[in-house]
Amino acid sequence: MTDTRARLQGIFRQVFDDPALELRDEWTADDVDGWDSLRHTELIIAIEKAFGIRFAIAEMARTREPGSNVGTLLELLRTKVDARR
Amino acid sequence: MIGSAARPDTVADVAGAIALLEDLVQSDSSTRAARMQDLLRALRTVATTRGPEDARHWARRAISPLLDYSSISALRTFLPPRLASDAAKPVRLAILGGPTTVQLRRVMEAFLASEEIIAEVYECDYGLFRQEILTPGSGLDRFNPDIVFVATGARDVGDLPAADLGEAEVAAIAETEIAGFAALWSIAHAKWNATIIQNNFEIGPGSSFGHLALRHPAARENYLDRLNRLLAERAPASVVLHDVRGLAAEAGARAWFDARFYFEFKMPCGAECLVTYAHSVVAVIRAIQGRSRKALVLDLDNTLWGGPVGDVGPGGIALGDGSSEGQAFLAFQRYARQLRARGVVLAVCSKNDADKAREPFETRSDMALKLSDFACFVANWENKADNLREIARRLELGADALVFFDDSPVERALVRRLAPEVAVPDVPEDPSDYVQALATGRYFETTAFTREDAARAQSYATNAQRRELADASSDLRSFLASLAMRMQVSPVSALNIERVTQLLNKSNQFNLTTRRMSLAEVKEVGAHPEWRTLTFSLRDSLGDNGLISVVFLRASEDTLTIDTWIMSCRVLQRGVEQFVRNEIVALARRDGFRRISGSYVPTAKNRMVEHHYAGLGFQPAGTEGSKTLWVLPVEPGLADLAHFIVGEGV
Repeated sequence: MTDTRARLQGIFRQVFDDPALELRDEWTADDVDGWDSLRHTELIIAIEKAFGIRFAIAEMARTREPGSNVGTLLELLRTKVDARR
Repeated sequence: MIGSAARPDTVADVAGAIALLEDLVQSDSSTRAARMQDLLRALRTVATTRGPEDARHWARRAISPLLDYSSISALRTFLPPRLASDAAKPVRLAILGGPTTVQLRRVMEAFLASEEIIAEVYECDYGLFRQEILTPGSGLDRFNPDIVFVATGARDVGDLPAADLGEAEVAAIAETEIAGFAALWSIAHAKWNATIIQNNFEIGPGSSFGHLALRHPAARENYLDRLNRLLAERAPASVVLHDVRGLAAEAGARAWFDARFYFEFKMPCGAECLVTYAHSVVAVIRAIQGRSRKALVLDLDNTLWGGPVGDVGPGGIALGDGSSEGQAFLAFQRYARQLRARGVVLAVCSKNDADKAREPFETRSDMALKLSDFACFVANWENKADNLREIARRLELGADALVFFDDSPVERALVRRLAPEVAVPDVPEDPSDYVQALATGRYFETTAFTREDAARAQSYATNAQRRELADASSDLRSFLASLAMRMQVSPVSALNIERVTQLLNKSNQFNLTTRRMSLAEVKEVGAHPEWRTLTFSLRDSLGDNGLISVVFLRASEDTLTIDTWIMSCRVLQRGVEQFVRNEIVALARRDGFRRISGSYVPTAKNRMVEHHYAGLGFQPAGTEGSKTLWVLPVEPGLADLAHFIVGEGV
């Protein structure tokens, strides 16, 4: 598991209060119990803080589009983390 | 004392829990996330091994305005989804957003829990605050709130005035805007008798008028400023203004107006500002409930001045204009003095020899704080938790009314451990940051500032003097006589209704029935023909105690029933109860009642008045559950009780 992925899983575990959660790329908000708009904001807030990045408004919106899943988020995150290096 | 080397992974015992909390409090921004993870892991273990109740307790204690949004939200998961338990009567709090309030609510609930305010929360969908208030039978109407928090912001202002409008037209538009809010307040107050918390308007960056904004009436910034002034002028006593404008300025406009979170999630402000925002609203709620802290207890060495005075002497301490550090300490002293001026009681708790501790106050002219500013001065070598309890006792306050400010992490940890009711803010190393560190706690919020508040700090100090007099006096009667007490008796009126309401809602100890009433209810009682109201204001040779006792009586046939009898504990053992009892009898005689009845409803805090009626010659008249009933027949031979107070007019 890559570092980015592991850190994202840690964030999911905290936000969803489930220490055993195993992140899967194909998960969408519909698949995860409790992934509502409050939880989604909390994910965005925690990710920005933990990775020290800032999503543009269009990127925030992309993470909420229909069909968007954990894989989408991960890809976006990797691009932004790489761009910083 | 508590080293981070021995960091336990569980909170199996109190010491382990305190150690983890201390680690979290002491951590700086680079280590805080990791310490938070330690704590969360430990809390999960506690929840499974010792039960959710234990985990809840430590989660509540960890919640602090210094944490970030994600940490507070994580701690919130250890609290029950619905905060109100069925056992206690919760405060019914409605959050009505202009913007969405789901995130704000989450942080507010965390702070409500950490302040031990039991709340039933109702939240409306974003943007619906007007409809919810105006529509009969709305969700809000059915909820029947005690507190309505109108969580609006500048985006909820109707149309901004057109740029070419002049002063008179802009003023008229502003009046209409505020009248819209005022209508909501009066409906909320009339329908549910609710106290309203109304946000004012935050002022964002990016003025289209640039520097001219302050001079042009139609400029957005100037207009919002005008609305804020109007809110302050027009809001009646049932409305508490919440200063979001101030919060936004404090956080910095760039952090507050992180508009992405509004555009995407309709959040009122940037994520991290939600913490400050929620904490501030909860501090206001605490004030509405009369539960703000009342006294600030200060350490001396490295808190009020630099250096140990016992070693370097009063000339060697860092204080005042001689050094930069000295200026920082002086600034903190001035801040404490301002707090005193608005009614916060000051006390000293220092590890020092008493005479050495007093020397700087006695010998240096550049101290902002004087010995006479302190209601209580404790300098000794005992442990500070015990000293704080002693200070609370001498001030006749609960330990939960104290805030303890000490630069020593060891002392802070000790007090947090042994006297957990005392609020202990974290104190940074640099004295330049002391004022902010204390202000961040928002401990001393009040909803009104009355003459009694202004005089309170002085009154506590003179009370200490009175007690010394009493100690020295071999004969209590001659002491009381020497005080030359004069009591003014008057009914509830516009002149005293704020103070009466305040006293009703914050008196816990000398309170026979602990009936809380809003300003509107007090007004109603004051005007109702079935009710009689008496208020008592006491002066003596040492000063003015202000309005210190309130009695509400209800008439039915030939009985006058004492519905409410409260008294400020500052005037205990002065004969005030006897004086008041005589006044009630006189009133009953005048209006032809044949008996006076009273009751005592026990609470966790009013044991002090358990035998109140027995002591005043009332006869027991049975019980109703835990409540005891008392009666006093108004017979011709009924004699007045003795006291040393001279009455002045009605």
